[in-house]
Amino acid sequence: MTSKAIPIFVAVLAWSATGQSLNHKIDLGKDSPVGLLSEDFGNSNVIARGGASQIEVNASLSLRNSSQKRIRSMTLMVYAQDGAAGGKGSVAVPTLDAAPGETFSIGIKTLLVRPVASGNPAVEVKLDGILFDDLSFYGPDTLHSQRTMTVWELEAQRDRKYFKSLLETAGAEALRKEMLASLARQGDRSSMGVQMVRGRATNVETDRELQFASLDIPESPIELSNGLARIAGNEARGPRFDVRNRSGRAVQHLEIGWLVKGQQGREFQAASVPGDVKLAPNQSGQVTQDATLRFDRPLTIESMSAFVSSVEFADGSQWIPSRSALDQPRLRQVVAPSPEEQHLTQIYNRKGLQALIDELKKF
Amino acid sequence: MMGHTAETELALYASGDLPVWRRLVAGWHVRGCGECRELVETFRTDRARLQRSADRLPEDIGWDQLSAEMTANIRVGLAAGECVAPRAPKGVALTWWRPVAAAAGVLLLIGGAWWLNIPSSDTETIGRALHNLATGERGGLSQIAAQEERGPMVGASASGVKLVENGGSLGIQQSGLQPVMYSVSTQGSASTRWVDQDTAQVTITTVYDQ
Repeated sequence: MTSKAIPIFVAVLAWSATGQSLNHKIDLGKDSPVGLLSEDFGNSNVIARGGASQIEVNASLSLRNSSQKRIRSMTLMVYAQDGAAGGKGSVAVPTLDAAPGETFSIGIKTLLVRPVASGNPAVEVKLDGILFDDLSFYGPDTLHSQRTMTVWELEAQRDRKYFKSLLETAGAEALRKEMLASLARQGDRSSMGVQMVRGRATNVETDRELQFASLDIPESPIELSNGLARIAGNEARGPRFDVRNRSGRAVQHLEIGWLVKGQQGREFQAASVPGDVKLAPNQSGQVTQDATLRFDRPLTIESMSAFVSSVEFADGSQWIPSRSALDQPRLRQVVAPSPEEQHLTQIYNRKGLQALIDELKKF
Repeated sequence: MMGHTAETELALYASGDLPVWRRLVAGWHVRGCGECRELVETFRTDRARLQRSADRLPEDIGWDQLSAEMTANIRVGLAAGECVAPRAPKGVALTWWRPVAAAAGVLLLIGGAWWLNIPSSDTETIGRALHNLATGERGGLSQIAAQEERGPMVGASASGVKLVENGGSLGIQQSGLQPVMYSVSTQGSASTRWVDQDTAQVTITTVYDQ
């Protein structure tokens, strides 16, 4: 009986694991500055697993810049159309640089597991934002992409300017050394898998308070002090900072980089703490987050540091640290390089110095 | 009989039934050993006597009938022996795979039912609880329950970003790539950054808990 049941069971498993095609919708918005040339959802499917559906999106979109400006970055939102999964994802390309009329492609690989809903599951890919080279923006900005993409663009402009200046003043060999140093830093950077849960637990065991060391950047419009978080086992929760606007302009948003050092001496950037604080010039306030940070490996937190990584003024313009500010050894080792710096170092690494110089000459 | 050739070997030697090499060895020993030589002679004498007796058997003997009777007697003897012998477990060595196959089938069935019906987040939670119980780490089930009560969880690691909420999950990866960095935001998002080795294009994937 067993020998007969096993093939039947295997056949049932095989049948249930066979995927059905995925319904999908692409919404680039009305009067979108990008046009859809082609789409390929060929490898996407839906697999029923008892009470859940596993939706696998393997898509490639071919798009064309139909605007008159260079597109510097783009963010697409991906979500289940019925909203049952309760979350959304995004795929962003911060180093796009598509000229007017130019075509480009974006790949999406998403795995969605959710309870089975009535009807065929469907996934929607929606344009959330496009940032142009003049920092103008198009899109619904549901995910606050404009802020993030503007920071990426400012970082790109800062880093390209730095590398071009180095090439002009010190020559190609100096640029090569800088690329090698950057690749070495990227290789040496520590990182650790992290999880974040909003809210706080009610029965977590005894915890302790640990103060943040503030890494002051003198040029920063915001002064950071009295940072504190509660540590319990493998978790850090409830970060809190005092902030003061020392600039002459009103501030509406800021982001703080959260650095963690374990007992083994490894320091890494664990999280960012955004704060929607409206601060008039010289006004003080507080940034608090009811959130818990958890590491996916055992870690005894020895110390924590924080620095202001970006500030948004009331008029929408942004401040980011300069290259020289980030050059202080403490920050240089742990702060992530910009997407643009990683793009440029990869060009150097893959195609060599001349390809990098050609790339820097583009804009 | 230490130092002597075995009797069976000598018997075969006497009848000329040993292979060449063993015959030479046995012959060499018999030539030097009086005791064995004597035994060989005895075997030869007995063999000659039997031969003579066989020659005296009647001409009309029914060999086929004799053979059938002997076979029948042997079968009756074997059956009778089986009736009175203690009952040994039958074919134990040949049927051991049956319970193993049955257990494997049951395990396969349970595993399949689990895979089809239990959300992966529940499996992970139970796995963590068992791991904590096994390793004696603090918290155990109560701490995990507390963590699960807090609501949606976002995470970023070398395998991509993931949102887990209400038994559902959303994960984003980039095929064939390893993330070059990952982090979370306390406002409820997790991001990973990927660099395409050929085009140097940077892609940032993010999940949001609302």
